[in-house]
Amino acid sequence: MTDDKDVLRDVWFGRIPTCFTLYQDEITEREAEPYYLLLPRISYLTLVTDKVKKHFQKVMRQEEVSEIWFEYEGTPLKWHYPIGLLFDLHASNTALPWSITVHFKNFPEKDLLHCHSKDVIEAHFMACIKEADALKHKSQVINEMQKKDHKQLWMGLQNDKFEQFWAINRKLMEYSPEDNGFRYIPFRIYQATTERPFIQKLFRPIASGGQLHTLGDLLKDVCPSAITPEDGEQKTQVMIHGIEPMLETPIQWLSEHMSYPDNFLHISIIPRPTD
Amino acid sequence: VFCSMAGEDFFLEEKRFKQYCEDFVKHSQQIGDGWEWRTSKDLPDGYLSKTHFQVRNRHIPPDLKEKNNDSTEQMLFAHAEEPSDDSQAAGVCSTEDVVRYEYHVLYSSSYQVPVLYFRACFLDGRPLTLDEIWGSVHASYQDRLQEGPWDTITQQEHPILGQPFFVLHPCRTNEFISAVLGGSQEHLRHTNYIILWLSTVGPVVGLNLPLSYAKLAPEQSTDADLT
Repeated sequence: MTDDKDVLRDVWFGRIPTCFTLYQDEITEREAEPYYLLLPRISYLTLVTDKVKKHFQKVMRQEEVSEIWFEYEGTPLKWHYPIGLLFDLHASNTALPWSITVHFKNFPEKDLLHCHSKDVIEAHFMACIKEADALKHKSQVINEMQKKDHKQLWMGLQNDKFEQFWAINRKLMEYSPEDNGFRYIPFRIYQATTERPFIQKLFRPIASGGQLHTLGDLLKDVCPSAITPEDGEQKTQVMIHGIEPMLETPIQWLSEHMSYPDNFLHISIIPRPTD
Repeated sequence: VFCSMAGEDFFLEEKRFKQYCEDFVKHSQQIGDGWEWRTSKDLPDGYLSKTHFQVRNRHIPPDLKEKNNDSTEQMLFAHAEEPSDDSQAAGVCSTEDVVRYEYHVLYSSSYQVPVLYFRACFLDGRPLTLDEIWGSVHASYQDRLQEGPWDTITQQEHPILGQPFFVLHPCRTNEFISAVLGGSQEHLRHTNYIILWLSTVGPVVGLNLPLSYAKLAPEQSTDADLT
């Protein structure tokens, strides 16, 4: 039986082979070769693509280069969503490598947040962690931590240091023995077909009678269309980190073991492939 | 700066948020202040929304920005002046000069407080940067920005529309609401939280509430329904 800690490592070290191609209308001085990279599922596009930017800037003139942004099949990719979420939501049932188009012009102001520096990514990441702890612990654990602990969470993510990150993050995964879990579960459910970017609601991991709520309970409560009736064919997949966890899985366990480093469960509802 | 939930007594339940918003919109309709309640198609939640247009005077002399006097505001929000005879300017404002401001009040279930989202753009669609928005706020409020119960204004994704907006960070809302309302629950029951909160945070980002909102009496049914 796999140890629970192995799950933490598998989540952290998940990678997506990706091919970056420069948008054809960008103006180059010579032909731009595609760039291949293994992207960490748990990180953010603008945090891990410095090499991609440098590679394409080498064939472009300085004046043709402004803020980089990424697109997949016409959809601008939100850098503030974890990479694994973007892939599961948009491309999980397509052939690898994931083909992403790189742009340096015409930043889509209506769709994407700006990301002028790593500080912006850090601020976003820490805001997510704080919000998650507001839900789990009424912010008590995150507020008790020192600034250097916060910094360690960010540095662990930025430098891909599992042990460094979890030395602090484990405290955010604790709860007192009299409770059987967190106050509320930090989660967001995404469907590419809806106008609303995600669904987020208050949801308790433990029922009033003391039973553990499951992933299925969460979906029934928050997004019932994701669970088809028993006699119907399952038209959708419920995906986290590229896998479909069993609906019977306790949501408390999922929160502790399959959250992203921002401490949120980012869940994708996608059409089931028909083959 | 860390977020504190110390003022838990003053957290705002979602039902109460909706009721306060309903009362708020009713009053807005009475005085023609332009607020409406918007719902999303798929879920029962919604938000307050107001859009207004303002003409910005293009030629703000640099020293005027530093003056902390009333004439600054007049200059900044003046209607376009007639062009002088020898200028090439058209008789109407160019699309550059008219700014469309949008303000949304959403409920944060994570922090259990209202949150103010805002954005602005020129008529041709070009969005204003945060600096450009701040530049049009009355100078005295720019000072207050330093001391207010908000340490950041950041760009974030609107949770219902999925588009970039600027947001006043909500985590210290409880702190200042508690300070204002004091220790008495009694006070809380008779105050429209939204009016109290919006009248404080709004002006910092160019949103003003006419004084008549302060006279808003809570409906008798509000308290009864929610006890």
